[in-house]
Amino acid sequence: MKLERRDFLKISAGATGLVLLHPSNLQRVGEDAETSADQSKLAMLVDVSKCVGCWWCYAACKQYNGLPQTITPDPEEPPELSPETWTTLFTTRKDDKWQFRKQACMHCTDAACVKVCPTGALSYNELGFVQYERNKCSGCGYCSEYCPFEVPQLQTNKISGDALMDKCTFCIDRVTNDQPTACAEACPTGAIKFGKRSELLEEANARVEELRKTNPDAYLYGANELGGLHVMYLLEESPEVQGLPNDPQLPPAATVHDVLQWVGVGAVGAVLAGFGLNYLVARARMVKEEKK
Amino acid sequence: MMEARTVERFKKRTILFHWIHTAAFLLLLITGAILFFPGLGSAAAGGATRIIHHIASVVFIGGAILYIPLNPKRALQFVKDTLKWGKDDIDWLKAAPDYYFGGPEGKMPPQGHINTGQKMWQAVILGTGVVFLVTGAIMWFARGSVSAGVFQWCMIIHGIAFIAALAMLFVHIYLGALHPRMSESFRSMLSGKISPTYAKHHYGKWYEEISETENK
Ligand code: HEM
Ligand code: SF4
Repeated sequence: MKLERRDFLKISAGATGLVLLHPSNLQRVGEDAETSADQSKLAMLVDVSKCVGCWWCYAACKQYNGLPQTITPDPEEPPELSPETWTTLFTTRKDDKWQFRKQACMHCTDAACVKVCPTGALSYNELGFVQYERNKCSGCGYCSEYCPFEVPQLQTNKISGDALMDKCTFCIDRVTNDQPTACAEACPTGAIKFGKRSELLEEANARVEELRKTNPDAYLYGANELGGLHVMYLLEESPEVQGLPNDPQLPPAATVHDVLQWVGVGAVGAVLAGFGLNYLVARARMVKEEKK
Repeated sequence: MMEARTVERFKKRTILFHWIHTAAFLLLLITGAILFFPGLGSAAAGGATRIIHHIASVVFIGGAILYIPLNPKRALQFVKDTLKWGKDDIDWLKAAPDYYFGGPEGKMPPQGHINTGQKMWQAVILGTGVVFLVTGAIMWFARGSVSAGVFQWCMIIHGIAFIAALAMLFVHIYLGALHPRMSESFRSMLSGKISPTYAKHHYGKWYEEISETENK
């Protein structure tokens, strides 16, 4: 059977298309998991017992990032995370005493948002945190629906569906210039510590051991969750009390979606290969038939 | 070669509808693929392709609904054709692989206005259309009101429908426009007409029906 130029062009165009569809980006996920102990990674450690609820981290975040300010919030109705509020306090009251937990993006090592973001607007920074490039956001909101902590929030036009996400950037311009994050710098009590993740881990583990002597519930949240968070919490109670999921997981649908992308590529490939084969066989046989 | 005499296969408005629907569908397919395949995702930056997806979905669904009052007989026939399956269809499925791989012409069972393969394509459009509409509407309008889990699985189901539609669209285009056997099929979607010989060979039962009504 002779391949004609036309056939050859058709087949090679198909093959090129397939290569373009290939979800090679998938490999990025997980790579970082192995290097989570890496010395270069940065992190924050939040000691919940030291937080007095002054909202300075909240104000510093707004100030530094040029987000609209509000008056000092009321712990009864703390502001929720939104495209204009990247860090806030989760508040609980126990025996007439307020408890506060700084709440923002956790900068997961295995981040669901990075996995599902179609455009690469969310990606891993080599320093460990999850960086966000606003100009790449498509507004699809997948991150918001997959994040185990419900962190990413969008401003959405309800009718057209046009939207834009915004969240904590880990103060990328500061931390890449040897400055701490704005919230860590503002915290007057040392409840937010900024530094190398490996060092903070060491310090926190020692602290938890100490606390465990009197309080069996003491726990370092984020040491291993989702491959290791880059915002860790020293907790004296079960995570749920502080509004944190006990055992956060990547949603199974995120993995199914990955598989589906491969199925899609495979289906396109199989169908195109089938056509190529069919075209050549069918024409050859029909030509033979006509000659008879 | 086109014979002088032709038989009308599609009315002008049906053809117009087919191409509007096709345009909307292709836009949906392309803008959807951009979100779906990681290799294409960067094209969605800024969100324009998402808005195109939303607008095209209104044309895609709105067009189909508008077509019903405009051409109720044809719309009903479409649904009937799609849902009515019989022995001829089974025979067609058995004979089709050899036929489409260039086997002899005569072995195919005679077909009605559309053949079983076209019927399958219509079923995919009708079936996935409903799935696209329901899951798409939830992702568009009900995000935030439905749980994250519902959104996630709508997205997965939308994606499965996408793969099915994508694969079948390729088959549809290939058989409708490229396959050496289906030489007049594509032209019929432009002019609405085919030659009697082509009609006899490809849609034998239908050709008999219209010949009878003509002779009456
Ligand atoms: C029938 C009406 C349809 C509606 C209302 C609809 C709506 C949507 C919505 C709301 C999304 C989520 C992303 C976003 O908000 O932009 C989406 C994604 C998508 N749509 Fe549609 N759509 C429809 C039809 C179609 C069709 C016909 C196709 C392709 C044949 C398609 C392929 C896709 C794909 C591939 C995605 C991305 C899914 C993913 O990332 O996993 N859609 N659609
Ligand atoms: S907390 Fe949510 S938004 Fe932040 S990195 Fe993890 S998955 Fe992404």
